[in-house]
Amino acid sequence: MNRQDLRTVSREYFSDDRLAEHHFRSFNNFLGRGMQDVVDEKERIETDIGDKEGQEPVYVELGDVRMVTPRVREADGSEELLYPQEARLRNITYSAPVFMEMSIVRGGEDEPETVVDSTETKVGRMPVMVGSDKCNMAGFSDEELIDIGEDPVDPGGYFIVNGSERVLMTSEDLAPNKILAEYDTKYGDEIQVAKTFSQRRGYRALVLCERNREGLLEVSFPSVSGSIDFVTLVRALGLESDEEIVHRVSDDPEIVKYMLENLEEAEVQTEEEAIEELGKRVASGQGKNYQLKRANYVIDRYLLPHLHEEGVEDEDVRINKAYYLCRMAEACFELALDRRESDDKDHYANKRLKVSGDLMKDLFRTALNKLARDVKYQLERANMRNRDLTVNTVVRSDVLTERLEHPIATGNWVGGRSGVSQLVDRTDYMGVLSHLRRLRSPLSRSQPHFEARDLHATQWGRICPSETPEGPNCGLVKNFAQAMELSQNVEDEQGLKRELASMGVEGIPGIEGVDRQTADD
Amino acid sequence: MSGTRSTPSRSPGCPECDGQVRTDGTERVCGDCGLVIEADRIDHGPEWRSFADDDASPERTGAPRTRARHDRGLSTEIGRSTRLTGRKKRRLARMRTHHKRSKIGSKRERNRVYSYTEIRRLIGELGLPESVRDQACALFDSAQDANLLRGRSLEGFSAAAVYAAARAANVARTRTEVREAAKATAGEQDAAFDAMNRELGLPVGPTDPAEYLPRFASDLDCSSAVERRARELARRAVEEGIAGGRDPSGVAAACLYTAGRQVDASGAVTQREAADVADVTPVTVRSTYVDIRGYRSRD
Repeated sequence: MNRQDLRTVSREYFSDDRLAEHHFRSFNNFLGRGMQDVVDEKERIETDIGDKEGQEPVYVELGDVRMVTPRVREADGSEELLYPQEARLRNITYSAPVFMEMSIVRGGEDEPETVVDSTETKVGRMPVMVGSDKCNMAGFSDEELIDIGEDPVDPGGYFIVNGSERVLMTSEDLAPNKILAEYDTKYGDEIQVAKTFSQRRGYRALVLCERNREGLLEVSFPSVSGSIDFVTLVRALGLESDEEIVHRVSDDPEIVKYMLENLEEAEVQTEEEAIEELGKRVASGQGKNYQLKRANYVIDRYLLPHLHEEGVEDEDVRINKAYYLCRMAEACFELALDRRESDDKDHYANKRLKVSGDLMKDLFRTALNKLARDVKYQLERANMRNRDLTVNTVVRSDVLTERLEHPIATGNWVGGRSGVSQLVDRTDYMGVLSHLRRLRSPLSRSQPHFEARDLHATQWGRICPSETPEGPNCGLVKNFAQAMELSQNVEDEQGLKRELASMGVEGIPGIEGVDRQTADD
Repeated sequence: MSGTRSTPSRSPGCPECDGQVRTDGTERVCGDCGLVIEADRIDHGPEWRSFADDDASPERTGAPRTRARHDRGLSTEIGRSTRLTGRKKRRLARMRTHHKRSKIGSKRERNRVYSYTEIRRLIGELGLPESVRDQACALFDSAQDANLLRGRSLEGFSAAAVYAAARAANVARTRTEVREAAKATAGEQDAAFDAMNRELGLPVGPTDPAEYLPRFASDLDCSSAVERRARELARRAVEEGIAGGRDPSGVAAACLYTAGRQVDASGAVTQREAADVADVTPVTVRSTYVDIRGYRSRD
């Protein structure tokens, strides 16, 4: 292309309102799917009603969630559409009511399950991003925007809470569900570690696979104090025979040698023994039966949760967990044999960005859990006082509202992070644009972290090489490059997996019935 | 900007000609020579506060005191930590349980906790302001102090307190509106309200129909012109004594209906619709309409 053409193309590209596009896409995505996903994860609210003799159990089934556009409810009870400028001037929140279908179901023990009450009720108010799909000015022309007191060139992409404009800082996190191999030191010796941040539905578990100085592999994961033998764990997961374990780790003769050392030291030989051994670790001093129950629960619940699949029994993914652990072991050995370099944590392939929609999803999840706890309490209370159980009288809508607004207003996010939301920098127009395209590393600014602050080659085209503050935040606070495009998670993960299975990937749990078109038939 | 700014009356006058200074919007101007002494009093920056020692310093902690909690929102909670294990964790869990139990000392207090929760829920559901919430809680306290609760239900008192407080604050909701949101039955609510009204002498006069207008108007999707006309009609109706002896919500509905017909006869609401939002019979609307339809707008 000649220079003239390039100029035309780039002018076209930059003339579009795309400076806060990543915020809109992320938040719209949250509105479109994320919210319903969170509700579907929760599925139902169980209560303690029915624990007593002669009482039928009660639970609440959660259905479709629906949101309208922002509106304000005056003290006199009238409700009107709210536009951002009014929210700013009146120091109120630009938020929209959220409705959810809920049904209270009683029975299931002696009597058949009956729906006591089922309605769509207002569960709270959700702050709405200015300029998003659910914003009242979506699709307005410049003239219309001026009529409602809005600046037509304002990029949007922020929230208005109690009249102050708040932008959610994009945060840069280490990629979850990926094996990262690196060196570490323990008691003065260099050891090799393979790490995975396993993440599923807001639950995040760090799984570590270490090769200690004796060359033995140890795995540690949440709910098990200390670490557990690699061989014991894979045997507990159903990978029993020596040959199979070795074969699954690697066919490399040197690694096989290392593996055989590990197998020689193994204390257990069968799956049953391994689970018993694990039970002793997770519930020491308890009864035998409880130990076994607890061991199974821990494996299915806390170990590598990202390998779970919707609608697949927990037991069926165990073998996949074993294979995954073998991959981690291989990474450790390869590192020990200098077959590979340790993974670069600052490489942009190993990073994921959490944009406003992802952050709102985290927030909505905890807010919904809080609401569920409150509904449970209210139901139990109403039942104790022999009241009729109705959806409308057990939902306190300010619970959810409070939980959603407070973090945005203060910046204290769930999970103990602070400074997530910031007051939009209105020093000048460029300040706003820069602020909306800023991203923050979660690393502490009080520590050196030289490598993390350095400009990395993979930031080319993604991160501006020069715009970063001076001082303690240098290199930790970054800004997007002009032409940066943020890719998003696949919408339909099941579909992707089916597609992969049809291309010949084996062992995806829950997808066995797919016709495989292999090359050799 | 500092809050210790002298008011125009006490100010020494114009620094140049000693003339009378007047405050004009955001400016302070000398009335004689026109000198602008000060302009632009808006503080554009955020409130400057340091949060640097927030974690360590106990100075700023907790939410402000509130009337709407049985303990005025002053109680503490034992938090959770992921670092604790084993014995210490169990000990803290035990302490937490005891701590929670010790928060409620008596049956009275327990009732208050329950009723305040219900009051807070009702306030949120009905979209009433916080002052009404505090008022309703105070009213419940008075009822409890006057021993009115015996033999009546807590839910009834919560609903009645909200109803009375809203009415006293001139943001009235109808009985039915409160009842539909409340856990109480109509009987419980009325019994509680009658008891409070009798024993405590509630400062509630007849409700002005105009209080209902904005809400009914937004429920019926009336234009602001219709609402304005309805407000005029409501004032006339009260002045001329037509509202007396009629349900104020019915009068409000009739005013909206009449105004709708007068302003724009084609898109007007029907009597049935107006009666439904106000929860009265169409007959009430019609009879009031007959009385007020002769009113002409003044312009």
